[in-house]
Amino acid sequence: MRTYLYLFYIAFLTSCSSFLEVDPKTSVSGENIINDETSANAAINGVYAALRDYYSVNYQSIAYLSGDNVQWTGSQSLVQEFINHRVNAENATLSSTWVDIYKTINRANNVIKALRNYEGDRIPTSVKDNVLGQAYAIRGLAYFDLVRVWGGVPLVTEPTEKVGDNVGIARSTATQTYQQVIDDLNLAEDLLPSTTNRFVFTKKTVWALKARYYLYQEKWEQARDYAKLLIDDQTNYELLTPYFSFFKNNVTGTRESVLELFYSANEVNAHRLQWQPQTNGGTRQWAPSEALIVLLTNPATAGARSQLIARDNQDRWYGDLYYRSTGADPTYIIRIAELYLIRAEAYAALEEYNLAVDDLNKVRGRALLTDKPNTTDKGDILTWIEEERRLEFAFEAHRWFDLVRTGRAQQVLGISESFRLLLPIPYSQRLADPVIAPNPGYSS
Amino acid sequence: MKKYGVFRYSLSLFFFLITATLAKSQQTQPIINAALTGKIIDAVSKEAVEGVTVQLDAVTHSVKTDRRGNFQFVTGQKLPFKLKVSFVGYETQTLVISTSPTLIELVPKHSDLDEVVVVGYATIGKKNLIGAVDRVSQQEVRDIPTGSFDAQLQGKVAGLQIAASTGVAGEALHVRLRGATSINANNNPLYVIDGVFLNSESLQTINTGGKATSPIADLNPSDIEYVEVLKDAEATALYGSRGANGVILITTKRGKNSQSAKVDVNLYSGRGKAVRLWELTTGSEHAELVNEYFRNIGQAEPFRPKDVIISGVAGRGLPSEQQTYDRLSEAFRTAGVYNADLSVYGGSDNTSYYLSAGYNKQEAILNPISFDRASFRFNLDQKINDKLKIGSSNGISRTGRNQARAGDGPRGGLLQTALHTPTYLSPYNENGVLVGRAGFDNLTLLLDNYDIGSTSLRYIGNIYGEYQFSPSLKFRSTFSVDYNQYDEREHWSNLLIEGSPNGLATSAISQSTTWINEQTLTYRKKWANRHTFGVLLGNTLQGSYFSLVSAEGRGFATNDFTLISAAATRTSNEDWDQYKLASFFGRLDYAFDDKYLIDFSLRSDGSSKFNNGYQWGYFPAVGLAWRLSKENFLSDVTFLDDLKLKTSYGLTGNQSVNSFASRQLWSGVGTSYQGVAGIVPEQLANQQLSWETTSQFNIGLDAEVLNHRLTTSLSYYHKYTKDGLLTEVLPGTTGFSSFTNNAVEISNKGFELSINSVNLQRKFFSWNTSFNIARNVNNIEKLATPQNYGSRNLIQFKEGHPMYSFWVYNQLYVDPETGDAVYEDVNGDGRITTDDRKILGSIWPKYFGGLTNNFTYKSFDVGTFFTFSVGNKIYNHNKFFGEGGGARDAARIIFQSNLDRWQNPGDITDVPRSDGVNNNNYKDGGGRWLEDGSYLRFRTLSVGYNFSAQRLGKLPISKFRIYLQATNLFTITNYTGLDPESASSSEANQQGIDLGTPPQPRSFQLGVNLTL
Repeated sequence: MRTYLYLFYIAFLTSCSSFLEVDPKTSVSGENIINDETSANAAINGVYAALRDYYSVNYQSIAYLSGDNVQWTGSQSLVQEFINHRVNAENATLSSTWVDIYKTINRANNVIKALRNYEGDRIPTSVKDNVLGQAYAIRGLAYFDLVRVWGGVPLVTEPTEKVGDNVGIARSTATQTYQQVIDDLNLAEDLLPSTTNRFVFTKKTVWALKARYYLYQEKWEQARDYAKLLIDDQTNYELLTPYFSFFKNNVTGTRESVLELFYSANEVNAHRLQWQPQTNGGTRQWAPSEALIVLLTNPATAGARSQLIARDNQDRWYGDLYYRSTGADPTYIIRIAELYLIRAEAYAALEEYNLAVDDLNKVRGRALLTDKPNTTDKGDILTWIEEERRLEFAFEAHRWFDLVRTGRAQQVLGISESFRLLLPIPYSQRLADPVIAPNPGYSS
Repeated sequence: MKKYGVFRYSLSLFFFLITATLAKSQQTQPIINAALTGKIIDAVSKEAVEGVTVQLDAVTHSVKTDRRGNFQFVTGQKLPFKLKVSFVGYETQTLVISTSPTLIELVPKHSDLDEVVVVGYATIGKKNLIGAVDRVSQQEVRDIPTGSFDAQLQGKVAGLQIAASTGVAGEALHVRLRGATSINANNNPLYVIDGVFLNSESLQTINTGGKATSPIADLNPSDIEYVEVLKDAEATALYGSRGANGVILITTKRGKNSQSAKVDVNLYSGRGKAVRLWELTTGSEHAELVNEYFRNIGQAEPFRPKDVIISGVAGRGLPSEQQTYDRLSEAFRTAGVYNADLSVYGGSDNTSYYLSAGYNKQEAILNPISFDRASFRFNLDQKINDKLKIGSSNGISRTGRNQARAGDGPRGGLLQTALHTPTYLSPYNENGVLVGRAGFDNLTLLLDNYDIGSTSLRYIGNIYGEYQFSPSLKFRSTFSVDYNQYDEREHWSNLLIEGSPNGLATSAISQSTTWINEQTLTYRKKWANRHTFGVLLGNTLQGSYFSLVSAEGRGFATNDFTLISAAATRTSNEDWDQYKLASFFGRLDYAFDDKYLIDFSLRSDGSSKFNNGYQWGYFPAVGLAWRLSKENFLSDVTFLDDLKLKTSYGLTGNQSVNSFASRQLWSGVGTSYQGVAGIVPEQLANQQLSWETTSQFNIGLDAEVLNHRLTTSLSYYHKYTKDGLLTEVLPGTTGFSSFTNNAVEISNKGFELSINSVNLQRKFFSWNTSFNIARNVNNIEKLATPQNYGSRNLIQFKEGHPMYSFWVYNQLYVDPETGDAVYEDVNGDGRITTDDRKILGSIWPKYFGGLTNNFTYKSFDVGTFFTFSVGNKIYNHNKFFGEGGGARDAARIIFQSNLDRWQNPGDITDVPRSDGVNNNNYKDGGGRWLEDGSYLRFRTLSVGYNFSAQRLGKLPISKFRIYLQATNLFTITNYTGLDPESASSSEANQQGIDLGTPPQPRSFQLGVNLTL
């Protein structure tokens, strides 16, 4: 009896507030998490992790599926929509890309806010500048990626710290969005060290990205000059010969690479699952298009790039750029070949035709293709560059953006309605924030 | 698997020993040398009745019948005797006996008014019940061959909606009581077994295509005495924060004091098979449809002579040359069901016990899925002295499952591989090697080269002590535990997509523990013979812990190595969770003359999930009842036995969100880069996060008429949920997708009617009918942003519409001239876009219920049981894929139904011309595949034979019944899929989508019930 009374007593008098205190273990609860060197470095890793979330499959697939290199063999219409250029506002790839890019931006904004005005002594200035510079650079890339798909988007530059933050922000124009990109890249350029690191942003990576930025802006001198900064750095960057040397045999971080995202057995890239056939653990959900197969099986057009595709046990072709069974395939964001081709295009625009063909032939040469002749026909050169880029970056995130950028998409891909050159704002985002206007042509 | 074999043998050995021992003790017959001996049996079941008081008229001396119903008198009186026989639950009879030995049949009482019902920590006579409570005794449903008892309740309780969404035993069902109240918090009722709050959420972590296991299946249904379903706030408010979705109280069997040992044996064995399978096109038909698609879009036919090469691609041969390969019959089988239960129970003056062991194995009709459970139970009650009683309930089970990915997803998806691979594709390539097609595995390779299994070890038990201070004052304290260790493993050989190139193995061990300590003090007293007054005070403390450790290994030397330690690459993962609840509750009740009844209760719960200031929720309830039949003005109405009007109002809560949903969180999970750990903002804080609260008004009328032959119960309820817990969508610009908020309001209104009738009660023939029907109208009253769930956003939650509504393009007709589908242009802008999707029905039926008829004729008994559901919609997602118009070409199956497509101007059909995937005619979210899911299912038919007491003669058996049962003999439905109850996902918000799910089988079983 006494025992029961005792239990009763305990039960009623145990302080309920302490009984009800339970703290999480899987995650950490609190604010001001970024407050020393370790946490600053950890936070920037988290930003890269987010960058990887949208770059490993979704963002790249938007670019190559919307081009003409890939055909779809599965059953999901969300893939087919890109290929047919009839992308629906409900497309799940599109909405997760949008969400993941803004997740990257928010993480970068957290780092920027914590470090921008940091006055303490727990983070050395060199670390602070480096981390802050990377955050700006990633944010710049993220807005660049957004504007290429959707045009102008809402500009968010402060972290979301509580419910209500960063809601109700209308879309800026494409020009304003591009301005945000270059502002961020300029800040990053000032802060970052000019070291060589192929897995994180450095000053050199920012130069490369700026070259691409000016190409899109058709500011040819700047594009040429920034590309030159890397091309001239021959101790660190080189066009590997033959073409497939930058990806075959499980290599990573080769001298070809300016920026690639790191993956390993623990930080897995799921990209290969879409490409590889069943016998290699994939679904071959998408496969090289018949047109591409023709190009990559004809020695005159393929050269060393024939290694991009292979055949399975049912004699079907599959793309073989992403193939590592551990999931350690890198995502190639910028390769030195792109800078040669950027400069080639810039030279062509600046009517430096021989220099343009020269850069183009460097890229062709290492693909074991014959040189293009010198010419003064700008149209020919631009077509050659377009075709070269199609094969050089066959399964990377370029083809669609290139054709849209040069105004060739409708003609090359047979798109009758020009509004389809911008993809629709995800339906879920318009529901969640009605202030975000749809792109014209995609419904009310 | 081998381990179970050993267990089965030892179980049968156990059976043998027990029965042999008891059989022996039966040999000792009482010496009969008196003037009167007799036997008392139940007039209906013909079973011997133990413990009947037999009294000679005008003599105070009485005897009781023994376990075989026998009694004897040693008396000086002479025949004939006048005897009075009485026993609880039977009509008391006085009869004149003129021969010895004699056989007396006791007639059961038809009134269940003397029954007691366990509600809210107390026991109440049913006649004084104010709340809406239904009881189902295990006896009624025991023959239904399901893995878990909740499946047996389908159609038995008005307002309890159970969708048997799968043909796989032991998989989670969708169980809803009086509708659903929450979008993102759990909608399952609270299950309480002998006072232990059960975890009813699956611990499964392995992907089986959207399906989850049911932790309820860890319980052996045979151990259950009865199940009570608490529906209204009066009954559930004492469960406070856990009561909003209703409470299902499970009482397991216990021994009775002064009852000699009895043994029950239940055995059954059966076979089940799919009623029908999907109707697929032949290889030639498939090819024709694909060619037609390519013609429609102006491209070359792929099924053309093999030597016709177009842009480098050879023809696949003419349609007429295509073969047909059957994969479905390789995947489906005739499934076996086996069950054996043994229980021993009884008691002495101070001790009573119930001891049982059971084994159940159920194969699914989809190879190789199976479920098996070995269980053990020991319940004990001991009176220490006149005041103190202690006891314990203990259930231990081991549930094994052989699983498969029967659901969504191509990788390793068993049913999808069998169903969705086009029939024209050979399982072999040109070199005679088995190959996977259409992105799926090869079925033959898949069946032989994967293993997914789990083992659930479950202990559910409690100990209690009860102290009776005085006849009116009682104190009780219990300590209960629900412990579950759930062990899963997977192995995929390198011949499969998932396992290539060098094999994959995973393993996960989850542990879930809930403990509850509970104290109650009850006082009940009757004054002046008409005022009954009761008080209940109590508290509980509860803690729930969860932990998970899992590992994955890739890259094995050969397929013979299956343990992760042998893998080249190994990764691991850990998860942890905990929450606590502290609760205080009280109840006051008062009854005047058993005529006017009132009670008031209040529970307050504090939850660790919420922040200071928002932690405590208060859940009051009030109930009133008026037994009109006790009023003088109705005393002349002779056919009326009982009439009660009752009403209640109260609040209940829900707090089943993530344990740390209110906090701002930073995570380190999956955020490393280059092997260095990262941290990321994971969740935004919601300091004000608090309880979801449901108010419920209930009014009901219970009547018993015609000498208790007809009982009816009618209820109307209105539930309104405020501050509903919602994963509220945030725009992507925030960098988060959602946060948890109290932001939704939902109403459920409905009625329930149940009727029980003794239609005929003759000496040799009886006929009883039970019928129940319910209607629930669910509506989302407030929700800022519509939310979509399910494949292709098929399900939408939107303000002004019911939860689980289907969101589709409304196909009006197929234009006979063009063959194009014409959709409703909802916004009238002349184009069909996402804005033209609309809500077109929901999973909610207009009416649902069950009809049971039981007949007995002499020693035979026949039972029929129908369930029905009217007005619910189901999305035939298999058909969406199977009716793709040939545009998915070699990637998907084509169903026979696609042959009805439009071909020529003037064709009238609802299957349009083929124009591609997700173009106009074969649109994702097309309404064409949304179908009426109404059905009437002949769920069970059973025919039994009871060997009568006389026939059993001197055998040591008091009851022996054999029966044959048929399940799912037929289903009447317009649904064109296989089973109108199928759902591909165990996720509540995705129910009603039928994809890749094996249907419920038609099965036959033979069984034996034996009591020694």
